[in-house]
Amino acid sequence: MTALIAVVMALAAISAIGVVLSPQTIYSALSLVVTVTMISVLFLLLNAQFLFAVQLIIYAGAVMVLFVFIIALLNPEAEDRPALDYRAMIGLAAVAAVTILVFVTARNGITYGSGGFRGQQVGAASNPYHTFAFGPDAVNAAGNVQTVAGQLFTTYLLPFEITSLLLLVAAIGAVYLTRRTKEAA
Amino acid sequence: MISTGAFPYLLGLSAFLFTIGAAGVLIRRNPIVVLMCIELMLNAGNIALIAYGRFLNSVEGQIFAFMVIVVAAAEVVVGLALVTAIFRLGRELDVDDLSEMSE
Repeated sequence: MTALIAVVMALAAISAIGVVLSPQTIYSALSLVVTVTMISVLFLLLNAQFLFAVQLIIYAGAVMVLFVFIIALLNPEAEDRPALDYRAMIGLAAVAAVTILVFVTARNGITYGSGGFRGQQVGAASNPYHTFAFGPDAVNAAGNVQTVAGQLFTTYLLPFEITSLLLLVAAIGAVYLTRRTKEAA
Repeated sequence: MISTGAFPYLLGLSAFLFTIGAAGVLIRRNPIVVLMCIELMLNAGNIALIAYGRFLNSVEGQIFAFMVIVVAAAEVVVGLALVTAIFRLGRELDVDDLSEMSE
């Protein structure tokens, strides 16, 4: 299982580098498909089955098909590979520094024992409106989709409805931006 | 199932994907690739949200990640519509050329 996680993480990282460094736009898009698929596998391993399905359907399905469709429609020309000058070196150093910093902080700066985080107590104490009580393993026991839906349609109902409004605005905006004007026709 | 020992690696992967996406936004000139790099950064945030949610025994991380996915979908729709509108004007797809608002 550890080997599987390592392979999934390595593939996600390598294909993310491919997104940035591919000269051809279509190769960037295909690398991004690999990245989001690997991230969805991580979601599944992190016990987020609903997000796994959403990630596959929305990202690997809808969003990436939209990207590939636009690339096929516009056919952008290949870009020169970024030169490996001092600025690229600074960028690579920044990427490595942030990654190592976060890793080291996560490894040493946060205390967690063999029984996991003490997150339940922290969440209940810091949030007085934390009325949806889970046991420590309720997320695993009740079936993950059920607990997500229970929270999404009770505590977070208003943000959920606002996202539907956001999607409507985005759809109207896209139609407005791509409409054919009289002088252009 | 991922054990708690993998948590630093997950956060490290999240930070790596975020910074590589930020670097891509800065160095690439094609607006479509810039949008893809923004997707990469949003996905990195989702990994961190879901990892924290998993190890804090809470579903809030997943709900926030769900909201982030919705926002990312809306962002892609508007961004690609803008790219199409720019292309229809006969402009070259190069973010260095599309800078007249800064002048």
